[in-house]
Amino acid sequence: MTILAILMPLALLLSFSFTAVYFWSVWRGQYDDLETPAHRILLEDEQEGKIS
Amino acid sequence: MYSSATDPGISVFCCTGCETVYQLLQSTGLTAYYDLRDRAGGETKRVSETIPDLRYLDDPTFREKFEKQLDGLKRPEMDFFVEGVHCAACIWLIEKLPDLVPGVESCRLDFGRSVATIRLKDRGLFSEAAQKLFWLGYRPHAIADDNEAAELKKKENRAWLTKIGVAGACTGNIMLLAAALYSGVEEPYANIFRWLSGLLFAPVLFYSASSFFWNSVSALRSRSLSIDVPVFFAIVFGSAVSVWNLQTAGAHIYFDSLAMLIFLLLASRYTLRRIQQKNLGGSHLYHFIAPSRAKRFNAANGECSFVNADVLVAGDILIVEDGEVFPVDGRVIEGASHVNLALLTGESNLQKIGPGDSVFAGTVNQGTALKVHTVKVGKQTRFGQILAQIEAGEMTKTPIVMAADRVAKWFLAAVCLIAVGVFWLTPGFDAALSRSLALIIVTCPCALALATPLAMSLALKNASKNGVLIHNAEVIERLSKVRNVLFDKTGTITQGKYQVLDWATDWGAFASVASVVRALEQKSKHPVALALVEYLDSRSPAGIDGSATIALVEQFEERLGIGVSGYVGDQYCEVRALPEQAEQVEASLQTTKQPVTRVGVFMNKKLVARIALGDGVRPGAADAIRALQSTGHRAFLVSGDSVETCTVVGRSVGLPQGQIFGRLSPEQKADLAGKLNPCALVGDGANDALGLKVASVGIAVHGAVDISLRVAGVYVSKPGLDYVSGLFRLAHGTMVLIRRNFAFSLAYNVAAGALAISGHMTPLLAALFMPVSAFTVFASTLYSSQKNEKIAFKKMQLEART
Repeated sequence: MTILAILMPLALLLSFSFTAVYFWSVWRGQYDDLETPAHRILLEDEQEGKIS
Repeated sequence: MYSSATDPGISVFCCTGCETVYQLLQSTGLTAYYDLRDRAGGETKRVSETIPDLRYLDDPTFREKFEKQLDGLKRPEMDFFVEGVHCAACIWLIEKLPDLVPGVESCRLDFGRSVATIRLKDRGLFSEAAQKLFWLGYRPHAIADDNEAAELKKKENRAWLTKIGVAGACTGNIMLLAAALYSGVEEPYANIFRWLSGLLFAPVLFYSASSFFWNSVSALRSRSLSIDVPVFFAIVFGSAVSVWNLQTAGAHIYFDSLAMLIFLLLASRYTLRRIQQKNLGGSHLYHFIAPSRAKRFNAANGECSFVNADVLVAGDILIVEDGEVFPVDGRVIEGASHVNLALLTGESNLQKIGPGDSVFAGTVNQGTALKVHTVKVGKQTRFGQILAQIEAGEMTKTPIVMAADRVAKWFLAAVCLIAVGVFWLTPGFDAALSRSLALIIVTCPCALALATPLAMSLALKNASKNGVLIHNAEVIERLSKVRNVLFDKTGTITQGKYQVLDWATDWGAFASVASVVRALEQKSKHPVALALVEYLDSRSPAGIDGSATIALVEQFEERLGIGVSGYVGDQYCEVRALPEQAEQVEASLQTTKQPVTRVGVFMNKKLVARIALGDGVRPGAADAIRALQSTGHRAFLVSGDSVETCTVVGRSVGLPQGQIFGRLSPEQKADLAGKLNPCALVGDGANDALGLKVASVGIAVHGAVDISLRVAGVYVSKPGLDYVSGLFRLAHGTMVLIRRNFAFSLAYNVAAGALAISGHMTPLLAALFMPVSAFTVFASTLYSSQKNEKIAFKKMQLEART
C-alpha cells in the first residue's frame, strides 16, 4: 500500500497539469468560436504555391 | 446560379454575375467552391449586379471609429458583418480573400455570427477587400469596434469555462477517491482520502460555486427567490455537515455528490446561456434601419465623398440622390423634389419639398438630388426613436410570462418548505439529508421561468425576420384568442391604388400606342398616370420598346379631372377619361364586375385604345382568407365604401353575405369591432386608427410605422394578406408550445419530487436528472419555434425566392 504514497501525488500532479493545459487553451481563445472550425476542418488545404 | 459542378463543358449560368464569379474562380484555381457548395447543399444566392462605391471605408475618420484598437495589434483589422453566409463553401471562399486581394493579409470568418475579420497588409485598403467580398456575392457591412462590450463578453465566457474546468477536474478526482472509500480502503489511507477529497472540494466550493452565492445574495436582497437560493443553501449545508464529519472522523461525507452537482449545474447553465445568447442576440430591427452610407459634401473644397452614415454628425451637408433614402433628419438647403413619407405619415402620395423643408431619415427622395443640412442623426431621428420604442416595448413582460414568474417563485418557496419538512420528518440523519438534498436539486422551474420568455422572443424574432413587426409579446397571447377577423377593404383586401384591369387597342399596334401613353403620362403625378406607367413598365420594361429614349412631348397640358394632352412628333395625342357608355370595355369586365375608371387614348382625335382602371383585389387575398377560415376564424369585411362595391369584393374573396358590412363610418367600424371582440381588425394605420385600438388586436397593413404601432399591435411591412394568416398560425403555434412546456414541467416536477421524497432518488441521480429536463424543454422550444415559423411563413419565403 505504500505505493499509494507515490501514486497519489503523481495522480494529482497529472490532473493539475491537464487542468493547466485546459486553462491555457481557454484563455488563448480556442473556445470563443465553436462553429467555424468544425466546418473549416472539412476544407482541404491546397499545396503551397498552387494559388498565387 | 452555376448548375453543373462536375463537367465544365456544360456549364450553365443564370446570369452574367455568376459567370464572372465562375471565371474568377477558375482563373484563380478556386473552382472547388462548386464541389463544396453542391456537397453542402447550400442555397443559391442573389449576386448583385452593381458593386457600390465603398471607398468611404478608407476614410481616416471612419477607420478611427471602426478599426480594431487592441493592444499588440500590428496590422489594421476591421470586422464586417457578411450577408449570405450559409454553408462550408462560403467559409472557404471568404477565407480565400488574401489570394484574391493582394492587400489583405488574412481573413477569418466566424460562421455562427457571420462576421469576417479582415486584416490588411501595410498598403492594403479595406475598400478593395470589401468590394471583392461584394463581388463574390456577400454583402459586407463594417461593424463598429465595440471593443469593451465584446471583450467583456469574451472574458465572461472564458471565466465560465474556467469555472467548469476546475469543477470538472476536481470532481473527477474526488469521485476516484470516493470509489476507493466505498470499496473499503483501510484506515490510515481512508482518513487521508477523506481529507484529500475535502481539499479538492475547496476550489469547487469557493471558486466554481461562487456564482450561486452572488446570485442568491442579489435575489435575497431584492426580497425574492431565485432558483439559486435553495441550491446555495443545500450546498452550504451539505459542505458544513461534511466538514464536521471529517473533523470528528464521522462516516459520511458528501464532497463527491456536491462537487458533481456543482459541475453539472454549471455545465448545463453554461450551455443554456449559449443557446439563449445565440437566439436572442443582436437587434433584429436591423432591416428597417436607414441606409448605412451617405454622400457628404465638403464645403471647404467643394468635393463630395461617401461616408458611413454612422459617422455623420449634426451640421454635415449631404447630397441625397433621386431614389435614395435619407440617412438623417435634416433641412433642405438646395433643390426641389418629391418625397415619399409613407413610412412616417402613411401618406403614400408624394409630397413636394423645397429649400427650408424638413426631411426625415427612412423616407425616400423621389425626384432630383437634394442638398440637405443634417439636424439629427442615428437614434435621435424620428425614425430612430420609433425603433427604440418598439425595441423597448418588446422587453415588457406579458401576462403569461409574469404568471410563469409568479408561479416559479411560489414553486421555489414550496420546494424549500417541503425540503425542510422532509428533513425533519424523515428518520435518520443521513436519509433525511439525502432526501431533502435530492428534492431541492431535482425540482426545476426552468420550463416556467426560462422557456416561456424564450418561446415568446423567438416568435417575435421570427415574425420580424419575415417583415411583420409585433409590438410586444403580449400581442401574441391576444392573437391566439382572436376568433373574428375584420378586414378593411381599400388597401387591405384591394390594392388601394389604381391598376390597369383591361387594355383594348382598337387601332394600330400596341407598341406605338404604348410609347405615346408613356410619353404623356410620364409627365404627370396623377394616380391614373402612375398606374399606367407602372403597367407599361411591367408589360415591356424600359429599353425594350425603345422607351429608353422617351418620345418628346410638346405643348404638354394636364387638365384636372379630364386628362393629359400634347404633341408627340406631329400628332396631337390625348389620354383622357371616357364617358360612361363604353360598352365594349364593360363587356370585357363582366367577370370581375368591379367599379372602374375608363380612359381613352386619342391620336389626332381618333380613339385608338381604351383602358379600364380600378382598384383590384390583392393576389392571394382569397387564399389567405380561406386559410383563416380553415383554422376556425370568422372573416368579415368592413368598409366605408358603398354596399354594392363591398359585396362584389367580399364575394370575390369568398365571404358570405352576412359577414360583409359596407357604408360604415370609422366610429361604426370601432363599434362593430367592440361587439365582435375578441377580434382582430386588419386595416390602414391612419384611417382605421379608432377601430385598431378597440379591437383586441389591431393589425396595420398600411400606413406609417409609428402611428400604426401606437394604435395597433402588429405592423405588416410587406404587401399581401398571407402574412396576416401566417401571423395567426405563428401565434397559435407559440401558445401551444408554451402550454406544452407547462404541462411537461408540471409532470416532471411532480414525478421527480415524489421519487426524491420517498427516497428513491439520490442527490447524485437528481443532479443528472435536472439538466436533462431543462435541456428537453429548451430543445423542444427551439425546435418548435422553428417549425412554427415554417408553418406560418414558408409559402411567402418560397415566393420571395422565385
